[in-house]
Amino acid sequence: MTNTKVEQDKKLFDQEVIQEIEEQKNRWKENTVKGKEGEEQYFSDSGIPINLLYTPDDVKDLDYLKDIGLSGEAPYVRGVYPNMYRGRLFTVRQIAGYGTPEDTNERFKFLLKNGATGTSVVLDLPTIRGYSSDDPEAEGHVGAAGVAIDSIEDIEALYDGIPIDEISSNIVTHLPSTTVVLMAMFAAMAEKKGIPLEKLSGTNQNDFLMETAIGSSLEVLPPKASFRLQCDAIEYASKNLPRWNPVSYNGYNLREAGTTAVQEVACAIANAIATSEELIRRGNKIDDFAKRLSFFWNLFNDFFEEIAKCRASRLVWHEVMKDRFDAQHPKSHLMRFHVQTAGITLTKVEPLNNIARSAIQGLAAVLGGAQSLHVDSYDEAYSAPTEESALISIRTQQIIQAETNVVNTVDPLAGSYFVENLTQEMAKRIREYIALIEDKGGLVNCVESGWLHREISDFAYSMQKDIESGKQKIVGLNYFPTENNSTKIPVFRYPEAAETIQKEKLQKLYAKRDSAKVEETLNILRQKCHEDENLLPYIKDCVLEYATLGEIEEVFREEFGLWQFPLA
Amino acid sequence: MQIKVVMAKLGLDIHWRGALVVSRMLRDEGMEVVYLGNQFPEQIVDAAIQEGADVIGLSTLGGNHLTLGPKVVEIMKAKGMDSLVIMGGVIPEDDFPLLKEAGIAEIFGPETRIEEMANFIRARVKTEIA
Repeated sequence: MTNTKVEQDKKLFDQEVIQEIEEQKNRWKENTVKGKEGEEQYFSDSGIPINLLYTPDDVKDLDYLKDIGLSGEAPYVRGVYPNMYRGRLFTVRQIAGYGTPEDTNERFKFLLKNGATGTSVVLDLPTIRGYSSDDPEAEGHVGAAGVAIDSIEDIEALYDGIPIDEISSNIVTHLPSTTVVLMAMFAAMAEKKGIPLEKLSGTNQNDFLMETAIGSSLEVLPPKASFRLQCDAIEYASKNLPRWNPVSYNGYNLREAGTTAVQEVACAIANAIATSEELIRRGNKIDDFAKRLSFFWNLFNDFFEEIAKCRASRLVWHEVMKDRFDAQHPKSHLMRFHVQTAGITLTKVEPLNNIARSAIQGLAAVLGGAQSLHVDSYDEAYSAPTEESALISIRTQQIIQAETNVVNTVDPLAGSYFVENLTQEMAKRIREYIALIEDKGGLVNCVESGWLHREISDFAYSMQKDIESGKQKIVGLNYFPTENNSTKIPVFRYPEAAETIQKEKLQKLYAKRDSAKVEETLNILRQKCHEDENLLPYIKDCVLEYATLGEIEEVFREEFGLWQFPLA
Repeated sequence: MQIKVVMAKLGLDIHWRGALVVSRMLRDEGMEVVYLGNQFPEQIVDAAIQEGADVIGLSTLGGNHLTLGPKVVEIMKAKGMDSLVIMGGVIPEDDFPLLKEAGIAEIFGPETRIEEMANFIRARVKTEIA
């Protein structure tokens, strides 16, 4: 029994004190607060029941050093770095991307001049889905919702004058198929400039769920092929780009499509588990690549649940690395994540209210220990952000950094009975959902069978019903509905000339490149698609011969075949 | 008679949440909805003809509404069909007049109540049948 006694001594509170608190709480429930607890049951956005009052007995099982710990040490609940924002502030990373690479290069320079500390680019849909700007499928989409990239020359124009060896470059590649091409172009560009690959720091998204579950399209690669490309990019970067994060497991877009905060984190970690298993199968060691796996969270308005989610995600990731994979390198245990505030929570009615929503979500990200942040702009239910609204987003981040003092101490909400209790509850539910995915044969299987699509669509459907019934309150919409329904705000217009300009650039490219060499490199790639070998070096050979992104991805479509998206 | 809707994501736009949720909710309103997934105008019209659809629903958040939206109406008319074409998604209000001029019957932005959309469809489809 001595052991139990020692274990008990390590708990946050003396067990006798807890007993007394529980007795007092029962009395208080019966006498003091009875009938005044509110009319309904209260739940977090993920469906966790919320108590009226949290007290020490709600954290009575916690052993501080074992279950919470110090910042920068296991189990990393309090943060991945010992000094957190005192060491380095979160990166102000506003995404930008529209028109031609030259157009977006200008916006990059505007954002950097105004205090952004890294670049982050979004791509237009033809680029994301692997079509050249002159492809019939690309019509109407070139340079819209992102920038058009056709060849290595476009990547060179995009980063012209940007110190890619000094600041980090985030490329929102979405799909693995897009990632492998753009990673190859980025690396080839750096080499042509004489920048060693070891100096490149940045992140690309590279999530097969983006291709096969989250975003739909006409032509989709089968989940297994998409997953293979995802792993190829990670493996290649671990050997050649030591400061590059070759994946940002995208909880964000899962959540936008329709999941709870628990499902968001669980699916992303399940994907990281599947990746790790595959890379180990290929003969890599966990510590070769795990330290560069990064994550991407979406923070909604449920303030404390989102903060608890961030904390819980660090805990669960550490457990996975320690218990499943026996990772030894301390960096393999660090759940590093980028946050973007929740686009789907922004309203079209009274759009300026969105500045308040985004600021609250951004604050939660910082209290949750995010490594970098994008604050959505108030006009995103209308169009992509204007220069003015993008600037407000940067200013919001700077206000959090410089005026609120929240960055001066690490994880300031730790020790809150509520936040610690909720963190443990979120972690428990995340573990359970990961187990559910694994019971169903793992994440790739859950996509192939359409199970994940049903989970997402069921949640989106029930959320919409809750909004229409008023159960979920949205200010200006169903809670104090606005009387002024026709707000006029300036909207952003995508440059219309992009399609013509990109087509002209392609014509010139076709004329000047050595088409025999293009064919030759593409044919080697075609053959390698059917072999158990990493495709990145072969893709790099193609881009150096000025093969276009569309041509390379056509090879994937032809060799891997297409898959029917299971939605109805 | 049950109203038949074909619902499509326009072109390459990836955001399927809205289109799928609207499809499910229009089914709750008693309509038959065929969800096509991502399609280009030509294929959307062909599917609508094949299904004998009363309504074509187009969803886009990707900025292609002005280029691809009117094309659906154009191709549909060229093929001698006259379904009700409606759109939804993130579309600037300044573009509404252009889209309506091109023959899109109505544009439903985010936050539209499904009842409102369903009532619009019922009113218009009924008049047109009558």
